[in-house]
Amino acid sequence: MATDNSSPEEFPCSLTLNIPFPDARLASVALRALKVDKELSALVQRDLSTATAAGSEEETILHVKYRATTNRMLRVAVNSFMESVALVLEVMEELDVDVLEAGETSA
Amino acid sequence: MPDSQGRRIALGCEGSANKLGIGIIAHDASGAAHVLSNVRHTFVSPPGTGFLPKDTAHHHRSFFVRVAKQALRDAGVSPSALDCICFTRGPGMGGPLTSVAVGARTLSLLWGKPLVGVNHCVGHIEMGRAITGASNPVVLYVSGGNTQVIAYAEQRYRIFGETLDIAVGNCLDRFARTLEISNDPAPGYNIEQLAKQGGRVLLDLPYAVKGMDCSFSGILGRADELAAVMRSGGKGPDGEDFTPADLCFTLQETIFAMLVEITERAMAHVGSNQVLIVGGVGCNERLQDMMGKMAAERGGSVYATDERFCIDNGIMIAHAGLLAYETGFETALEESTCTQRFRTDEVFVKWRN
Repeated sequence: MATDNSSPEEFPCSLTLNIPFPDARLASVALRALKVDKELSALVQRDLSTATAAGSEEETILHVKYRATTNRMLRVAVNSFMESVALVLEVMEELDVDVLEAGETSA
Repeated sequence: MPDSQGRRIALGCEGSANKLGIGIIAHDASGAAHVLSNVRHTFVSPPGTGFLPKDTAHHHRSFFVRVAKQALRDAGVSPSALDCICFTRGPGMGGPLTSVAVGARTLSLLWGKPLVGVNHCVGHIEMGRAITGASNPVVLYVSGGNTQVIAYAEQRYRIFGETLDIAVGNCLDRFARTLEISNDPAPGYNIEQLAKQGGRVLLDLPYAVKGMDCSFSGILGRADELAAVMRSGGKGPDGEDFTPADLCFTLQETIFAMLVEITERAMAHVGSNQVLIVGGVGCNERLQDMMGKMAAERGGSVYATDERFCIDNGIMIAHAGLLAYETGFETALEESTCTQRFRTDEVFVKWRN
């Protein structure tokens, strides 16, 4: 959900996150899983996309831009987002296809 | 795709309240359902408190991977064997629902399997039908979040009667807080045990059936008042002291009689003599007993499942989701949001005729 038409005066508080993933597939999975839910508050806007890391052609970075009307709204929204990212990461680390196959062969 | 034995297999994720459940079900070539795994972890809050959305969502995120791994291990299936990933779309608490949906979406994307969003109430109903074999009962769905009397007609689960305010389980859970009864394993369970020590006296609570519907918030208010009277040393209607056990007994007898009445009214309306009780409050043996007596008087019977299935669980979501998937239903990723309000009759029950 691109919202490039929001003016910085209305949403003066912003935070940008660049979250690295091991490969483009995982960055894309994270993007698609997380962008489905809209922000709950109209006082917060969020843009999600994937981006390339420096010196690479693969889009392995999850690029997150948050804008909010106040620092408090920004903090609350970003903290909540980070908890969701943590869940996505844990699912990837423990339940991806290759991880489970490795677990089976070593069991 | 059905596997070499003609089975379809689904994984289901549930987290609309304080129970995180993940289960795996198989439908064989003849359409019979087999539970391959059913794992659940409950977020229990301290006595005198209830579970809040933010803490509950946090619990579900913390336990999602653990419960999912256990479900896969117990079932002995690998992701490639699955046909779909089912999750609770609603109704329920927003944060907890979404936290589980994020996990389900991630699995769907990592494993390359389609998503199926499921109505929580329909999950309870379909699991109850599958486990008990009841063919076309009137369904009493009673839990901490829902109280509905449902009958199936023309591919919808139609709501014949419901609570006008709070769910019967919510009334019980909040009264447990008033009495500071433990929430472990569940407040309603502990009220049920305490009620067994009552029976000497039936205290004075309002009885609130309104046609096909019922109301519990006034009863809860009055029960809370009586608890305060008890604490300050007041006497019951017979001039004697009364105890928390007397209060629990009175509350159960009152609210369960109300549920029996509105269920019987629906049964008379549709001409059925079978009752299926689903939802967490359905574990209550006194409720099953009272409902059974009413059904027997009508020449019928009551069907109920045990705590594996009547308490919120992932297997019911897998089962209802797989039934829908087998009719061609899928939820696109972009539409896999959750909703706090999701009426039981919004679902098109294509898998029944």
